[in-house]
Amino acid sequence: MTAVTAQDSDIRLWIYQHFADTGCAPSPVEIAARFGLTPHQTEQALHRLQRGVDALVLIPGSSYIWMAEPFSAVPTSFTVRSDRRQWWGNCIWDALGILNLLGIDGEVSTACPNSGQRLRVVVSDGALAEAPGVVHFAVQARDWWRDIGFT
Amino acid sequence: MLLFRSEDDVQTWCREQEIAAGMLFDLERLWRLAGMWYRDRLDANWRRKTISERQAILDAVGLRGPFWHLTPSHESGR
Repeated sequence: MTAVTAQDSDIRLWIYQHFADTGCAPSPVEIAARFGLTPHQTEQALHRLQRGVDALVLIPGSSYIWMAEPFSAVPTSFTVRSDRRQWWGNCIWDALGILNLLGIDGEVSTACPNSGQRLRVVVSDGALAEAPGVVHFAVQARDWWRDIGFT
Repeated sequence: MLLFRSEDDVQTWCREQEIAAGMLFDLERLWRLAGMWYRDRLDANWRRKTISERQAILDAVGLRGPFWHLTPSHESGR
């Protein structure tokens, strides 16, 4: 296992806080500037966080952040909104995870993959207030991370 | 993990996508699972949960059986 440093842990937390505050992933350049690192040092830290503790998923072949679960850096079919803030979840599990993690009320917007009907999940007072539909797990647990994009 | 309008929609979608149907459950259970799974991600001392800890969370929300078994060899960050 790749050893993660104390600074790597600080970087991980800052990335998560950046997602929470802005809905976006910081770029490697922003991370380097924040922590006074060279581009190479930043890439090494990000890859350690991916390989060492699975704290991140990077876009293959790059040092750009794809996921910091439950957050997605790229638009998905699971939009999370609270007041005027917005995030993307990697799946319905992660979308609910964002509201749970942030401890806020809000809603998740998605659409039924078969019918296309819009589905809106509402969280109010820390509980589900509108919970339409049914959740489908296509992949058994042991294979969830074999192809995380598909899962 | 996707959210469908109904079980009929899941069956139709799986048939058209040529994907074996998986497991179904309601959002209430997923809400509890999401909370237990992700609640510590903004903690400064976060660490990756062990497989046993993750399995215990699945068990706690009633997700038991072979479909939900996490093997020691799998790679996970969730």
